[in-house]
Amino acid sequence: MNSAKDINLLEYKGQISSELRIHLLDLLQCAALINLGRRSDLKKLVGIALELLDNAQRHNAANEVDFRWEIRDDELVVTITNKASSTDAHRLAEAVESIHRMNPEEITEAFKRQMTTEGFGENGGAGLGILQIARKVGNQISAHIEPLQDDEYLCTSKVSTSLRR
Amino acid sequence: MEPLHIPASHNTPAISYKPEHAWFRVVGNSIPENASTFYAPVVAWLKTYVNELPDGCSFEFSLPYFNSSTLKALYTVLMEIKLAMAKGKRFSVTWYVEEDDDFMQEAGETYQEMLGMKISIIPGHIEI
Repeated sequence: MNSAKDINLLEYKGQISSELRIHLLDLLQCAALINLGRRSDLKKLVGIALELLDNAQRHNAANEVDFRWEIRDDELVVTITNKASSTDAHRLAEAVESIHRMNPEEITEAFKRQMTTEGFGENGGAGLGILQIARKVGNQISAHIEPLQDDEYLCTSKVSTSLRR
Repeated sequence: MEPLHIPASHNTPAISYKPEHAWFRVVGNSIPENASTFYAPVVAWLKTYVNELPDGCSFEFSLPYFNSSTLKALYTVLMEIKLAMAKGKRFSVTWYVEEDDDFMQEAGETYQEMLGMKISIIPGHIEI
């Protein structure tokens, strides 16, 4: 963790589990509070990271992640990289591409549609994570997928958001 | 009526119905990997017993943090409550928010808007 005034970096590489997500939640809330001060959107900012971690755990071919939370000047950038199957990797890329085609009203409508659609994905996902992030950051989300070997892809998701209020 | 009591875990909330108090409470962080599986017994319990619950029963939710998968699962829980209220049951629903917390506030408002039901959003938190 760099504690310089305008740069704050937290990086984790390794296995991901439910327990790890809980500890990261606590750590990120603490880091956000100390570095940004008390503000009403702290949990929403931490929520961006947690939704990306949720997705990475749910759709992970190797059970490992490379997670990075960085505050630089007035911007928060969250990046996560993990291996995934071809199906999951392309699903992620398509979800992000569809976000880029939507305006804020369409993102909200898509979110509501997904909320009311019956059922969950086979891994227990609600299909809401990327939409939930997009409600906060608009289309400031990207996904890059890179073929590795066999059926595996390396997926990198990146979300940035202004910290100005 | 079967009792409902699910103890809290490191990543799931405590869920309980107390007949002596006529309250149903969901309390704690909820970030399970599979919220559908976790909340399925709760939805099943409500489907079976919600119409047996007394008028005046209070449904109270106090979740400091939850993931989007939980957001959808709780929508299903609230839908069961709404359906019973539409049949004439007089229940109340309270969504607790921590002070100055947009995350919890907006979730409560999202449910209010999407379900079209009265949900009291009030500051504070509860315990089981």
